Amino acid sequence: MVKARSIPGKIGLFLLIILIVTFSIFPFLQIISTSLKYQWDWGNPSLIPTQVNPDAYKELLNIGQDEKNVPQSVLDLLDDSDLTKQQKNEILDKYKDSSDVFPFLKYFRNSLSLSTLAAIFSLLLAIMGAYSFSRLRYRGRAVIQRGVLFVYMIGGILLLIPLYRIAVALGFLATPAGTFTALLIIYLVQTLPVSLYMLGNFFRTIPYSIEEAALIEGVSRFGIIWRIVIPLSWSAIVTVFIYCFMIAWNEFLFASVFLRGYEQLYTLPIGLRSLFVSKNAIWDRIMAGSMLTALPVIVLFMAIQKNLTGGLSEGGVKG
Amino acid sequence: MKKTRSLEQKEAMLGWWLVLPATIIILSLILYPIITNIISSFFKVSLMDRDTFVGLENYRNIVSDPEFWRSVMITLVYVVGTTLGTTLVGLGVAIVMNKTFPLRGLVRSLILLPYVAPVFSVVYAWKFIFDPVNGIFMDVMVERLGLFEQRFNLIGNPETALWVAIVFSIWKNFPFTYLMILARLQAIDKSMYEAADVDGAGRWQQFRFITMPELYFVLGSIVLLRVIWNFNKFEDIFLLTDNLKVLSIYTYFKAFVGVVDLGQGSALVILQFALLIGFILFYVKKVLKW
Repeated sequence: MVKARSIPGKIGLFLLIILIVTFSIFPFLQIISTSLKYQWDWGNPSLIPTQVNPDAYKELLNIGQDEKNVPQSVLDLLDDSDLTKQQKNEILDKYKDSSDVFPFLKYFRNSLSLSTLAAIFSLLLAIMGAYSFSRLRYRGRAVIQRGVLFVYMIGGILLLIPLYRIAVALGFLATPAGTFTALLIIYLVQTLPVSLYMLGNFFRTIPYSIEEAALIEGVSRFGIIWRIVIPLSWSAIVTVFIYCFMIAWNEFLFASVFLRGYEQLYTLPIGLRSLFVSKNAIWDRIMAGSMLTALPVIVLFMAIQKNLTGGLSEGGVKG
Repeated sequence: MKKTRSLEQKEAMLGWWLVLPATIIILSLILYPIITNIISSFFKVSLMDRDTFVGLENYRNIVSDPEFWRSVMITLVYVVGTTLGTTLVGLGVAIVMNKTFPLRGLVRSLILLPYVAPVFSVVYAWKFIFDPVNGIFMDVMVERLGLFEQRFNLIGNPETALWVAIVFSIWKNFPFTYLMILARLQAIDKSMYEAADVDGAGRWQQFRFITMPELYFVLGSIVLLRVIWNFNKFEDIFLLTDNLKVLSIYTYFKAFVGVVDLGQGSALVILQFALLIGFILFYVKKVLKW
C-alpha cells in the first residue's frame, strides 16, 4: 500500500500512534512518578512530582538506613557525650527497628539465584534434548516431540496440587534447602518445554554439512555439540536463557504455596505482595520495588530484541 | 552392511540418552502428577493420615455448589472478553505499525514493554491508577468529568474488578498478538493490493477480501493460544484482585486457604481441564477445520 496519504489521514495516523504508545507506557510512567513522590503528593494526578523524593529507593537498596529512625535529640546527645564507640552503637541499635525494613535485597538475591540456576539447568538439558530431536533418528522421537508441545499447554494451576502433595510426601518442604530445591526443580520443568522447542527449531537451521565434515574427521557427537553446535547457536542460547530466566523470575503461584513459612526464601513476587498486604501507605516503596524488579528484565529484553521478535513468532513464550 | 546398521543403532542409542534426562523430568513432574491428581480426586485427602475413598463425592460437592457455577461464568466472561479484546487491539495495532512513519523502530520497541515487564511489578501500577484515594482514574472520572458522584473502589468490587482485570490482560498481552499478526501482514504479497487498486476496490474491500483471508489462520491460532493461556490464568488476576473468583483462583482458595481440601481441589482441577480440552477439540474442528 504505497500510497500518498492525505493530510487528515496523516493526522489521524499520528493521533492513533500517540494513543497506542500512551496506552502502552502510561503505567510505567506512573510507576516512575509515584516512586519518586512524597506521600502528600500521591493524590496529585500530575506525573511530575512536586518535589522529588528518593527515599523509597534508598530504603529498598539499603542506602543510609542506619540512623533513619533515631530521633535528632538522641543523635545530638550522642555527639556531645563521652561514651565509647561501642556504647554509642548499643544505644543506636535500640532504635533500629529491623521488623520495619523491607528486605528487598535479600528477596532480589533469592529470585536471582533461583532464576539463574533454573535457566542454566534448563539450557543444559535442552541443548542435549534438542540436539537429539533435530539430528538423530530413533523410534519414539515424534512422540516425545509432540508430548513436549502438549505439556506446554498445561497451566501451573493444574499441577500445583499434585506437585505440592508429592513435595510434602517426599519431605522436601521440611527444610529451607529442600524447599529451595523443590522450587528449582519445578521451575526447571516449567521452562524445559520452551527451551527444548525453541532450541530444536534453531538447531534445524544449522546446515548439517558442517557436522558431516566433522563426523568424517572422526569427531564424536559430544565433540560436535560442544565445538560446532553451541558456538554456532550462541545467540539462540542467550535468547532461550533469557526466556527461561524470565519465566522463573515471574513465577508466583508455586512460590506462594511452597514458600509459606520460609520468609528468608521469599522471591520478589512474593516479597512485593507481602509488603503490599502487610502495611498501609507504602505506594512509594511498592512503586520503587516495581521499578527495580522490572528494569533488569526490560534491559535484558531490549538487548535481545532482534532475536526476540523472531523467537516469538516461532511459537515463543507463554503469556 | 552390518557396519552401517550398527552405526544407525549407535546413533539411536545416543539420541535416547541425550533426550532421556529431559524426558524423565517431564514425565515425573508433569505426567505422573496428573495421574495422581486424577486418582486423588476420588479420595478424601489428608496430609497427615491415609486417604479414604469417597467415589464421586468430591465431584458431586463441586457441581452442587452455586459458587462453582458462578466462577465458571466469571471465567467465561474473562476468557471471551480478554481474547476478543487482545485480538482486536493486536490487529488494529499491527495494521497501524505496518504503515511507514517516522520513529517507527522506537515506537515498535515501546509498545512491547507491557508484554516484556514482569506481571508482579506492573500490576501495582494498575492498582495505583484505579486506587480510590490516589488514583488518576477516579480523579478524572469524578473531579474532571463528574461522571460519578464520589470516588469508589473499582478493584475492590468483584463486578467492576472483572472489567479492570480484562483491560489489564488486554494491555499485558496485546503486544504478543500484534507481533504475530504483523509478521503475517508483512508476508502478504503487495501485488494483490495493486491488482485490487486497478480493479477499483476500496480500502475496506481490500481489507475484507485480501487482508482478512490471509490472516485467518494466524488469527485462529492466536485465539486458541490466548483461550488456553487465559483459561488457566492465575497471577494476573490474583495479584490485581483476590476478589475475582475465576476457576483457577476458586481452586486455589478451595485447596490452600482456610479449610484445606486437596481432594476437592484435585476434582476441581480435573473439571477445569476437562472443560478446556472440550473447548479445544470443538475449536480445532470447527474454526481451524483440521
